[in-house]
Amino acid sequence: MDFTLSPEHQALRRMIREVVQNEVAPLAAEIDRHHIVPIETMRKIGATGLLGVCFPQKYGGMGAGEMGYCILMEEVNKVCTSTGTNVGAHIGIGAMAIYLDGNEEQKRKYLTPLARGEKFAAFGLTESGAGSDAAAIRTRAVREGDSWILDGGKVFITNGGYADTITILAVTDPTLGARGGITAFIAETDWKGFKVAREEDKMGIRGTSTAELVFEELRVPHENVLGKVGEGFIIFMKSLDMGRLTLGAACIGGSEMAVDSAVRWAKTRQQYGEELAHKQSVQWKIANMATELEALRSLVYRTAWLVDTGQPFSQLAAMCKLYGSEVASRAIDMALQIHGGLGFTRDFPLERGFRDARIGEIYEGTSEVQKIVIANNIFREHGVRVRP
Amino acid sequence: MEFALNEEQRMFQNMFRDFAAKDIAPHAEEIDHEETMPASILSKAANQGFLGATLPEEVFGAALDGVSYALMIEEVARACVSLSVVTAAHVSMVAMSILEAGSDAQKAEWLEAMSAGEVIGAFALTEPDAGSDAQSLQTRAVVDGDEVVLGGVKTWVTNGGIAGLFLVFARGAEGIDAYLVPQDTPGLTVGYREPTLGLRSASFNTVYLEGCRVPLTNRLGQAGGGWDIARRAQDRMAVALAAAGLGVATDAIAVASKYATERIQFDVAIAHKQAIQEFVANAYIETEALRYLVYRAAWLSDQGQSVSVEASTVKAFAARVARNVTNMMVQVMGGYGFMEDYPMARKYRDARSLGIIGGPTEVHQLRVAQKIFADLDVEIKL
Amino acid sequence: MRIIVILGRVLDPAGITINQRAGRIFVNREEYVIQPADRCALEVALRIKDATAAEVVVLPRGPLPDDDILRQALAIGADRAVYFTRERFKADEAVMVRLLEAAIDRLGGADLVLTGATTLDSGQGQLGPRMAAALDWPQILDAWQAEVVDGAVQAVRQDGTGYVTVEAALPAVVTVVPGAVKPRYPDGVRLVNIYKNVGEIAAALERWEVTDLVGVDMLVPLVERRGQDFPPPRERGVRLSGAPDEVAVAAAQALQKRMNG
Repeated sequence: MDFTLSPEHQALRRMIREVVQNEVAPLAAEIDRHHIVPIETMRKIGATGLLGVCFPQKYGGMGAGEMGYCILMEEVNKVCTSTGTNVGAHIGIGAMAIYLDGNEEQKRKYLTPLARGEKFAAFGLTESGAGSDAAAIRTRAVREGDSWILDGGKVFITNGGYADTITILAVTDPTLGARGGITAFIAETDWKGFKVAREEDKMGIRGTSTAELVFEELRVPHENVLGKVGEGFIIFMKSLDMGRLTLGAACIGGSEMAVDSAVRWAKTRQQYGEELAHKQSVQWKIANMATELEALRSLVYRTAWLVDTGQPFSQLAAMCKLYGSEVASRAIDMALQIHGGLGFTRDFPLERGFRDARIGEIYEGTSEVQKIVIANNIFREHGVRVRP
Repeated sequence: MEFALNEEQRMFQNMFRDFAAKDIAPHAEEIDHEETMPASILSKAANQGFLGATLPEEVFGAALDGVSYALMIEEVARACVSLSVVTAAHVSMVAMSILEAGSDAQKAEWLEAMSAGEVIGAFALTEPDAGSDAQSLQTRAVVDGDEVVLGGVKTWVTNGGIAGLFLVFARGAEGIDAYLVPQDTPGLTVGYREPTLGLRSASFNTVYLEGCRVPLTNRLGQAGGGWDIARRAQDRMAVALAAAGLGVATDAIAVASKYATERIQFDVAIAHKQAIQEFVANAYIETEALRYLVYRAAWLSDQGQSVSVEASTVKAFAARVARNVTNMMVQVMGGYGFMEDYPMARKYRDARSLGIIGGPTEVHQLRVAQKIFADLDVEIKL
Repeated sequence: MRIIVILGRVLDPAGITINQRAGRIFVNREEYVIQPADRCALEVALRIKDATAAEVVVLPRGPLPDDDILRQALAIGADRAVYFTRERFKADEAVMVRLLEAAIDRLGGADLVLTGATTLDSGQGQLGPRMAAALDWPQILDAWQAEVVDGAVQAVRQDGTGYVTVEAALPAVVTVVPGAVKPRYPDGVRLVNIYKNVGEIAAALERWEVTDLVGVDMLVPLVERRGQDFPPPRERGVRLSGAPDEVAVAAAQALQKRMNG
């Protein structure tokens, strides 16, 4: 057992902190308040190579592995959940699907500019009637010569409003259902037939684009089929597995922010003649927050290590997201309470953190979906296939 | 033991519910986005008698009993928690303080106008360095002939932005005094409005008092009697806020459970999923426990009893239940719970706010603990 | 053209908390970064490199316990870095200047030496001028920017009234003030590779034995550090009150008295 971070990951963390402090922190409150997607910030982060942190160097990445990606998510989310979400949707699910299942030509053509941060990616799974229930997907793709014609739409697509490259899950054979009948495609968003219908107004992560997309006779060449025809569902689930782990890492960042600000406030705020730090009700809250944070950190980085060493990780990844989102929500809630009225005003970052944290238990598969996945895996080991 | 609402209370409940659904709910999202409390909505509430809810008929109040008042706040909060807080601060904290402690002249001057909604009341107690710790008030009241000069800074003044009358607490020669300060008094300046997580249509302002002169006759009650007035007002407000928590929790369950019957996942409505059933059932159980705690506190106050401990108990519990329930109902609605185009996100932000305004939960826990240990002859210091 | 950048390390200010009441500094995270002024000097060097295709070589401004900041500099874009090693060696500026001079000689000479005008921790700025004296090169101190034009270095400095451009023939020494330029971030690929010791960049970090550069007798510092102390507490001021005229007179008298000792 060795729990030390490698020298390159230590150096990477230091570099990320510098980039985040200079480029992300100054804008965090503004982009939330005015509902701005910080595309310029994304370009600046991209210029450092960080948007390809986990991809191999031959595809324009840094080659720092999943561990490096988790560090990036932790550090960015500590300062700005919106920017963290943009980064996560781009790397963790958008580009990741192409990295995991794209052929050499697709990786060269699409993954490389994404890894270099020259272009941005989105992941087109959710539909109004189909979230984590991929079998209910209605977007249709019909073969026509060397192309596929896509008709339908997607909702709640993070980065959907500004992405250049999007992976889309569509039904290619309605008779076959989720296994065999669904195919993943890579599309470019400036192609005819791709339309951004609207942007959602959200409670939190307001510096992100959550778009409703419409496809009208969107023509995708056959060479842009990701993986094999009919295997789209499995391909998307693999990306989601990776995404869950890094959302856990994002929650480490959110929780750290909560603990840091709670401690800073408790040691300065005077009530009844002494600092809040001397109140047990405050001490208990901080002790609980810190304990859960450390447990989460161990879980996430252990899972990242499993990924980087090529071991099975999907069960733990679901746990990372489930537990991480709960820990972050609780931590930010307690930090807010410790701040009292000041935690409640939008002049303090905690208010933003509170609204932002709530999405953790919802997006990329709600906590309930994670529990289904976890229970499924456990029962399967005991020979039982449970129904969702 | 009698747990049923009487006929009059049931009638009121229906009336409140109809009014809130028809005249308030349709505007709730818009006024939250715009962060305003339009005069048109306040005047509708005034016409319904809401702004003089517990004031007597002589001053054109609705003369509601405590339970009916709790029902009213609950129903308003189902539609719009911000409006319920604005109303409760106006009625429970300011108008009722004047009714209880005011001179005949003060009652004559203010209460009719307050019932009619011509004057909205604001409660100015909290200061930058005295949150719930009201004993360390810094604002001074210095008597000068037949006038008093007020100086200090008040923060988190509920209704500060829309009020015509401020109930200001200040340290005088004999302890804490309470003064009625009209909004146009020279020296009173309404300042910074806090941008808040929830309750965005209610306004919480900083109020500056600089050489602010009012006649001595504007003092409410005896010199040094302000602290008692403040505590009683806070107790009434705690029960009202608990009723607001009950309202928002009740409505959250109604909205989310309806959604659960319509949302199809894995070929069935999610209402058939045990995870969803667990959320809805637990939310309902907690809400019903809260319901009777609220009604009981209101009923006790109707019996003329001091409800200080009950008020803290129900406020702390209501803040927890409202937060838990709306949190669970957001989860039931998944992505739609997070979108501001649906009402659940607002309910969640509003419900969380109830754990902080009107004294954070920790302060109410402290008051309950003080009472428990006081019965054992142990004094818990702040 | 070869540009030498001399840089040192400092405890990352973001990782420390100063508790004024306790009069103590708490190190929450012991991490070292390149001295801010030195990092600006590196940035100036890299900009010259971008314009003229020069080679940028970094050398340490003092003894280092490890080669971390040299790796940082390589990740940022330096072409070569040399790390001086020896079991233990103490060095002040005088010793370092001898070492650096020998190192530059072994590198085959240089056209421009850049370094920070001051250090964040000890506030010293002797190294640049001492290097210029030892090498007998012209120097430009406290530059805000510098570029190489026709075999000369042109630098912008601040004087009492504004900014002036000064020029020195190469070879020359230039010191750069902290905050003069916005330093670039490390390049992701270079960073990962240099810390993993893989790829071409791994060969860019060299270790030279100190005693191969200068004789042991040259390694004796002129300055010896015997301990540290806090400055004496400041005298309390006097609060003056009264009408403005009286206060002005009283303030003038108080100042006069203090100046007269």
